[in-house]
Amino acid sequence: MGQQKVLFEARDLYKSFGITKALKGVRLELRSGEILGLIGENGSGKSTLTSIIAGIQPANSGLMYFEGKAFEAKSSVEANQAGISMILQEKSTFDHLSVANNIFIGIEKRFRHAGILDGRRMRREAKKALGEIGADHISPAGMLGNLSFEDGKLVELARAMAMDPQILIIDETTTALSRSGRDILYSIIERMKKEGKSVIFISHDIDEMMEKCDRLTILRDGNYIDTLKKKDYSPQMIRKLMVGREITDNYYRLDMESCKNPEVVLKARSVSAGHLSDVSFVLHKGEILGFGGLADCGMHDIGRLAFGLIPARSGEILNEAGEKITDPAQAMDRKIGYIAKNRDQEALMVNAPIRDNICIASYKKLAKRGCILPGAENQFVDRWAKELEIKMLSGRQYVMELSGGNKQKVALAKWLGFGADIFILDCPTRGIDIGVKTNIYNLMAKLRNEGKSIILISEELPEIIGMSDRVIILKDGKISGEFRREEQLTETKLIDYMV
Amino acid sequence: MENQKERNILSKVNFKTIFPYLGLLGVIIFFQIYSGGRVLTASNFKAIVSECFFIIIGVTGYVFIMAQGNLDFSIGAVMGLCCATASLGASIHPVLAIPFAIIPGGLAGLINGMVHVKLKVGALIGTMSVQFIVNGILILILAAGSLTAPLHMLKWYTMPVRFIMILIIVLVGLYFFHYTSYGKSCRAMGTCHEAARQSGVKVGALKITAFVVMGVLTGLLGFFSLIRTGTSTVLTGSELLMNVLCAALLGGIPLSGGAGTKFDSVIIGSLTMAFLTNGMVLMGLSTYDKQLIKGIVFLITIAISFDRKNMVVIK
Repeated sequence: MGQQKVLFEARDLYKSFGITKALKGVRLELRSGEILGLIGENGSGKSTLTSIIAGIQPANSGLMYFEGKAFEAKSSVEANQAGISMILQEKSTFDHLSVANNIFIGIEKRFRHAGILDGRRMRREAKKALGEIGADHISPAGMLGNLSFEDGKLVELARAMAMDPQILIIDETTTALSRSGRDILYSIIERMKKEGKSVIFISHDIDEMMEKCDRLTILRDGNYIDTLKKKDYSPQMIRKLMVGREITDNYYRLDMESCKNPEVVLKARSVSAGHLSDVSFVLHKGEILGFGGLADCGMHDIGRLAFGLIPARSGEILNEAGEKITDPAQAMDRKIGYIAKNRDQEALMVNAPIRDNICIASYKKLAKRGCILPGAENQFVDRWAKELEIKMLSGRQYVMELSGGNKQKVALAKWLGFGADIFILDCPTRGIDIGVKTNIYNLMAKLRNEGKSIILISEELPEIIGMSDRVIILKDGKISGEFRREEQLTETKLIDYMV
Repeated sequence: MENQKERNILSKVNFKTIFPYLGLLGVIIFFQIYSGGRVLTASNFKAIVSECFFIIIGVTGYVFIMAQGNLDFSIGAVMGLCCATASLGASIHPVLAIPFAIIPGGLAGLINGMVHVKLKVGALIGTMSVQFIVNGILILILAAGSLTAPLHMLKWYTMPVRFIMILIIVLVGLYFFHYTSYGKSCRAMGTCHEAARQSGVKVGALKITAFVVMGVLTGLLGFFSLIRTGTSTVLTGSELLMNVLCAALLGGIPLSGGAGTKFDSVIIGSLTMAFLTNGMVLMGLSTYDKQLIKGIVFLITIAISFDRKNMVVIK
């Protein structure tokens, strides 16, 4: 690849949210026909930068050039028209509209004749758009709400590609996709490149980034750090630039022993619930039990079931005392704690102070003759915030203002303070940077050694292999394989049982 | 530039919290001037306590429902019904008036809670339906037009009784709201329903209790209304809902509930409302004029206090 011409350039971008400075003079250069990776820890400014490029929010100051001309999109519609499309990290589709309506949202005009929308033509075009990205299995007439999260993402992809963009921005989408979904995404990236168009790609997965991207731009704390060419890639180097210090490759558990304790603390007997059908397993004292599988294999329902959030259609799930688990409050009586995958909506009250979030599960414990004094609460918060090294100004600070990693620490502090014996962690490191990830893995190992039990549900196989005493792989709601911790356990071996 | 922004944020926060206090101060000063200094006098103090009485007891119950992010539209009708049943009780024996007021109130609250929690109907629509039903029952009971209480019961409605009632109910409310698991869980629920549930808060039970407590307090107000006026009519309690809701908003209780709900709003809001009503009386306004002005104040308060920003998803 020779020196291609510069397609897009950003210089000296500044952006702050209140007192938080998200971008401090960031630059970016994107050439024609290149796949540029944007990498950095959480809160490094990747999403802010790309959303400014895509017109979702304005920068406070700075310059942008697109095809040599000064560029500033006041809205994502304007950016779309200029040829920049973005796929967001979050879901940005409408559940109550059809797939076709979602794909052509905002540009329905195309299908209008004398004020009447030609629905048939729209569905036909939608079918073509889906076919072009290789997602033929999605019906354009179906309701978006009936699709899985993954298919929803593919619809977003079809929508972005229907705009025929010069620049496609993909923000942290691959973690939500299964292998087949990823393959679709990768083939689109390759096609864009062949056509001389450009892609900005964001992902936490360093291996994926090294494989797919021609160049990598690294951000840290809202600063531009460096841009590496493909021939200069090395994982150690990239991590070091991201974090600003050396990080060893091994942050999982180092020991290879598996739990020998025969004492059972949780037992599922041929349970059917949610996506699960006829699932049986036991959890031992002092064990980390990992659950893995594809996006809609039902693994998240394991957590919901064990915490009493969804009822069992048949079969039963029993706690240590042999009682059926019926609802969260009762599960907590038996010292079970649960952190949902959907952290901001289910595990935390982001619109409340850190104090309330840490104390909420422990009010019974904090009350003296029914009375909870502010002093007791503050002491409790200080103790557990310190234990988990939560970066905060005070317990009165709202959780909303914290970074993803610190939010997760608050959720963990809640259950540590509560004194849970069984931790159900659904994707505990989702969207969290390496630094905090390491903290969480260390904490899990420590809890295990103290005799606590952990159910680890994760979409990241290395994490499950690295941390679990035992791994259960689910496929279409059924258990397809169970593995003990051992050196020989590899990702490829587990994937065979997933698909 | 950054510092200025920081200061802006701080001043915004402060404005939100001091706004109710400024409102109270403004109302007092306004009427003090326009009534020629008749607001802040010892004799008027009694009138203020009387004005305050129904409102502050009502808001004390209401703040728990609002903290949960709910509303109760039935309180006016329930108070009317309880006043009528109290007079029925009083006709048997004067003391029976109290249980005859409180029990129907509690039952109405229980129905509100059950409709909302078990039938999964929104609290707004659910309590509105209960309001219609209760009004219907009231009209059936009052077929003769109005009911009366034995005259000697009017002597129960003394200043010390009212003052002590306010003190006890407000202190108990304050204690439960800020110093117990119950109040804290109510606010947690209003902040994020699902997160509260997944932290062990028994959401359904909490909602039902708040409606029942509200019902009992409304029943009590029905009883006090009887011993104040000696009669029970279809109009009894008709002003309660607006007075309570208006006081709650003037005091700074957010309509969305949650972590930002504070108990001092109950006191500040009720006092503002009391001074407002009292001031209008001193200025010689008729009941209908008062209604109109209260309606306007209500609209202005909502327009100022409504948190539009939190309605959009914050990223």
